[in-house]
Amino acid sequence: MLFSEGRESPGSLMLEQSLRGEMQRASTNEIEFYAEHLDASRFSDTNHYHLFQDYLGKKYASQHLDLIVAVPTRNYSIVGELPNLVFPNVPVVFVAVNELEVPSNLSKLGVTGIIQRFDLRGTVGLMLQLQPDTRRVIVIGGVSETDHATLNRIEEVAHTVEGVQFEYWTNRPIAELPAAVKDLPEGTVILLTTVQQDVAGQRYFMSQVAQMLVPVANVPVYVLGASALGSGAVGGALVNAENLGTQAAKLASQVLTGANPKTLPIQVDTKGTQMVDWHALQRWHIKESRVPVDCDIRYRPETLWEEHRNLILISLAVFIAQAFTIAALLTQRRQRRLAEIEVLNQRMELAHVSRVSTMGQLASALAHELNQPLGAILRNAEAGELFLQKDKPDLTEIRAIFGDIRKDNERAGNVINRMRSLLKRRSLESDPLDFHGLIEETIQLARPDAQTRKISLTMRVAPELPLVLGDRVHLQQVLLNLMLNGMDAMKDCRPADRLLSIIARVTDEGIVEVVVKDRGTGIIADKVSRVFDPFFTTKSDGMGMGLAISQTIIEAHGGTIRAENNPDRGASFIFTLQPAD
Amino acid sequence: MNPTAPIPTIYILDDDASFLKSAERLLRAAGHPVEAFESAQDFLKKLSPEMCGCVVTDLEMPGLNGLELQEALRKSANPMPVIFLSAQGDIPKTVHAMRRGAEDFLTKLGPKEELLEAIKRALARDAKERRQRGRLQELRTKFAELSARELEVLGHVVRGRLNKQIADDLGINERTVKLHRTNLTRTLQVQSVAELTRLTEELGLFKSEPPAE
Repeated sequence: MLFSEGRESPGSLMLEQSLRGEMQRASTNEIEFYAEHLDASRFSDTNHYHLFQDYLGKKYASQHLDLIVAVPTRNYSIVGELPNLVFPNVPVVFVAVNELEVPSNLSKLGVTGIIQRFDLRGTVGLMLQLQPDTRRVIVIGGVSETDHATLNRIEEVAHTVEGVQFEYWTNRPIAELPAAVKDLPEGTVILLTTVQQDVAGQRYFMSQVAQMLVPVANVPVYVLGASALGSGAVGGALVNAENLGTQAAKLASQVLTGANPKTLPIQVDTKGTQMVDWHALQRWHIKESRVPVDCDIRYRPETLWEEHRNLILISLAVFIAQAFTIAALLTQRRQRRLAEIEVLNQRMELAHVSRVSTMGQLASALAHELNQPLGAILRNAEAGELFLQKDKPDLTEIRAIFGDIRKDNERAGNVINRMRSLLKRRSLESDPLDFHGLIEETIQLARPDAQTRKISLTMRVAPELPLVLGDRVHLQQVLLNLMLNGMDAMKDCRPADRLLSIIARVTDEGIVEVVVKDRGTGIIADKVSRVFDPFFTTKSDGMGMGLAISQTIIEAHGGTIRAENNPDRGASFIFTLQPAD
Repeated sequence: MNPTAPIPTIYILDDDASFLKSAERLLRAAGHPVEAFESAQDFLKKLSPEMCGCVVTDLEMPGLNGLELQEALRKSANPMPVIFLSAQGDIPKTVHAMRRGAEDFLTKLGPKEELLEAIKRALARDAKERRQRGRLQELRTKFAELSARELEVLGHVVRGRLNKQIADDLGINERTVKLHRTNLTRTLQVQSVAELTRLTEELGLFKSEPPAE
């Protein structure tokens, strides 16, 4: 590979890399590349050229070369005469990026290649499309032969554009330009062409000039080569080194596989690839909608999606999987909760049924309770009538009768209220309540029944019993149920032993503990743990739900309930309740 | 009847103070002397043979209940009629009470006429039984005056034995039998064998002995 320019020329480097990659890709063999640079911009004397020629001849004397790929910039000597002298039998393919005329003797030498022209028309067209308000174009160029060729082509294009003034800055040294471009009027753009040599004799690569001017210029800068893109220049219809490399590699492969270069015509490509720098569009507030659809927008920062596509996909997958798992767990939990609620509802329903049946057990006792005041009212009323029939009715007596009737009426009402609150179907409520009062009330409910069964009821309540948090009716049901159980357990005892104690105390932890203690037959040792199981019963007429319901109610209150046999005789049922505060 | 004898009184028992008071008030308004007790024990302590009338008691009471009171009263020297008042109709208990001679078994919510009628019947029965008990007492006193031999002869007489047969049985002569018979009819102030038989039956004498022959 022979290059006119030095190793550091950006355009040459891009082209070399592209060529190597594309040729290797097209070939099944391992291709060995050698690169030699004439570096003619810096060493332009003929002496250097001859030294380079001798050097190549000696260096590759013993090497068998299959192909010469030449990349000329100033003239075609490295394409024609040099290879012809040094490597006479090696075919030559060239790639040139310039505006120079092709020497007519080249094809006679059996050389083929690709000439890429700068797409000046395309670049000016893009410029005017992106910035339609452009009134003035400053063209920066050099004084070399190639530079002039380019400028001449621009002039041709400029004539076709109306309303835009083209100004050619070729007589100013490049070093002075950064100061000159700082303060240009609005509507101006800069078109940077090749500066192989400026008026001061200084040599530049297009990318070098771009890097000097673009950051300081107060107007947009357009360029001709892809190597200058990335400096901050807006872009242009650029020479695409990659495309060029691909085409040249194709041509080279044809030659390598035996095609005669003479039969392959020299290709001239005038079409560039439109490219713009995304950052420059932002800087000059050029709307992306103005950019042609086939124009390549470079250096666009990748969106989060583009940059972390895999990470996002994986995260999303994990997230979705997690969401599914969570949803499944939630559904499961919901179903379990619904089931629990259902069970609780059923227990509550049973609690109601159980209360009704408990009331049934108490019904005769309660009828007695109710009939007492009703009977008293009746007798009082009858007595009153009789007193009134007398000649001189005793009004004091009659007044006393009315007073007593009212008292008994209240008493009957209270009995009914107690029954009604127990019979009402209801859900759990939670209020602070005085358990001492509740025990007293429950004992009143059970007392008639206890009297019939000749059972003494005693109550022992700690003096400072705190209020407990709970549902009055449900807790009363539990207490009543435990009391009736205790009374049942003592039916075969001697009357003197029939004692049911209700004890309420506070534990060291501040929890209220209620004990219902009988002196009956106790619980058979291996059944103690089973008494709270639903349908467990020792009574011939029992349903076995009383204790199970009691347990549900107590646990719904955040308490516990347990049964144990007393050391002497009988059993105790103990439940705990949370204090209200 | 002896004018110094006590006036028939209603003894009413109930552990429920307010019902007790109302019932007492009613019976007083209806013209009865009334004495009220809050428990069977209190009443039994006060019970004496001189008291007459009837007992109106609640069935369900702490301590002794109504049935137990009835039992105690039946075994006492003054078995006054008992009327039960119950706040609830309990059939087995009713049957039990009636079998033991309860005058009536009423609910507390019955009309006053029911109660007053029952009391009227009970008082009549008490008076009648008291008279009978008085007569029997008299008879017992008279029978107690008989000698052992006279009582023995009486036993044979009420079984329809002839004097001659009695003399044979007892190994005494017929004249002595006649003399005993004269003495015992004079003591007992009866004229006929038929009347003798009725009296001994009334007192429950000679029942356990097997019939002759």
